[in-house]
Amino acid sequence: MELVGEEKRIQALFSEARHADEQTTPTFVGVWNRAQSKTIRTPRAFNLSFVAATALLVCALVSLAWWVNRSPRSQNVLVANAPPISNVVPKDVQQPGGFEPANDPGSKPVTQPRSGERSRALILAARRQAVLVAASKKTLRDAKAIESWQSPTATLLDSPSEGLLKTLPQMNQSVDELKSFLPNQPK
Amino acid sequence: MRIDRQIDRMDIAELKAELETLHSASFGWALNCCRRDRAEAEEVLQMVYLKILEGKACFRGEASLKTWLFAVIRKTAIGEHRKNILRKLRWSDGSEATRTLVSPLEQPGAAFEKSETQALFQSAMKSLPRRQREALHLVFYQDLSLSEAAEVMGISIGSARQHYDRGKKRLREYLGQTESAYGISWRGKENPGAV
Repeated sequence: MELVGEEKRIQALFSEARHADEQTTPTFVGVWNRAQSKTIRTPRAFNLSFVAATALLVCALVSLAWWVNRSPRSQNVLVANAPPISNVVPKDVQQPGGFEPANDPGSKPVTQPRSGERSRALILAARRQAVLVAASKKTLRDAKAIESWQSPTATLLDSPSEGLLKTLPQMNQSVDELKSFLPNQPK
Repeated sequence: MRIDRQIDRMDIAELKAELETLHSASFGWALNCCRRDRAEAEEVLQMVYLKILEGKACFRGEASLKTWLFAVIRKTAIGEHRKNILRKLRWSDGSEATRTLVSPLEQPGAAFEKSETQALFQSAMKSLPRRQREALHLVFYQDLSLSEAAEVMGISIGSARQHYDRGKKRLREYLGQTESAYGISWRGKENPGAV
C-alpha cells in the first residue's frame, strides 16, 4: 500500500511503537513452554472432574434405588403393576409333563411399568408362579395315584362268561352258536 | 493411532517453527487487542498456543498462517476481555489492585509510552473504536493488505476499508488537536514571562 503525507507520519508512529514492543516481547520459548505445561495439567484435571462426576452419579443412583425400595407407596404400585401370573414364566421352573399355564386368548397385553419396578414385579410374579407350579405338581401326582388304584376285591367280580359278555358275535359264526346267545329258545 | 500422533507431532514441530517467526508480530497484535495491557496480551498469546497444542485451533491452510493466527488471537482476546469484565463485576476492586501489582512487564512499556509523541499516539489510538483501531494496526503495524485485514477481522473488505478510512481520519484529527494544544502549553512553559 502506497502511503502519502499524513499516512507516512502515522506509519512512522506505528513503526516506532513496533520497535518498542519488540524490545519488551516475552520470549517465544517461555510462552510456549508455559502453554505446554498447561496442556499436561489439563487431562489430569479432566480425569479428576470425570471421576468426581461419576462418583456423584453413582451416589445419586444408589440413593434413588434405596428410596424406591423403602417407599411404601412404591410397594403398592409394584403389586398393582405386577403382570398376571399366566404371562410370566420363570426360566428356572421346569413344567412337569408339558404342563403350561393357560394363556387367555382374549387377555390384553399388560402395560409395561418402568424398568426398576418391572424387575421387582417380575421377581414377585416368579415367586407366585413357583408356588403355583409346586401346587399343581402335587395335584398331578395325586391324580396319577388315583388313576392306577385298584380295589382289593376286584378279582371277585371276574366271571367265566366275561369273554362272551365283552365280545360281539361275528358274521361268519354258525347259526347254532348264535342261537346259544338267544335268551328264550322254543323247546 | 501411533502414526497419527507422530504426524501430529511433526506438524506441531513445523507449526512451532512458523509461530516462532511470527511471535513478535503476534505479541504486537495481542497487545493491540488487549488495549496495550502487556500481562493480558501475554496471557492471551499463551492461551492461543495452548489452543493450538490441544488442537482446538486447527490451521487448515484456508488462509495464510499469519491471518489465521491473528484471527485466533483476536477471538481469544475478545473472549478474555469479556471474562475479565464479568470477573470485575463479580469481585471487589481489591483484585484489580493485586493484578496491577503482579504484571511485571508493565514497567518498561509504561516508561516507553511516557515519551511524548508515543503517549499522544497511544491515547489517540485508545480513543478510537475497536474495529477502526484494529484496521489501522493491521495495515500500518503489521503491513497487511486491506483484504488480509478484513480476513483477520472477519468482515468484508468494504467494511474493512470503511473502518480504515474513518480510523485514519479520526486519528489525524485527534493528533492535530492534541498536538496544537500541547504546542501552546509547551510554548507557555518554555517562556512563561511572554504570556
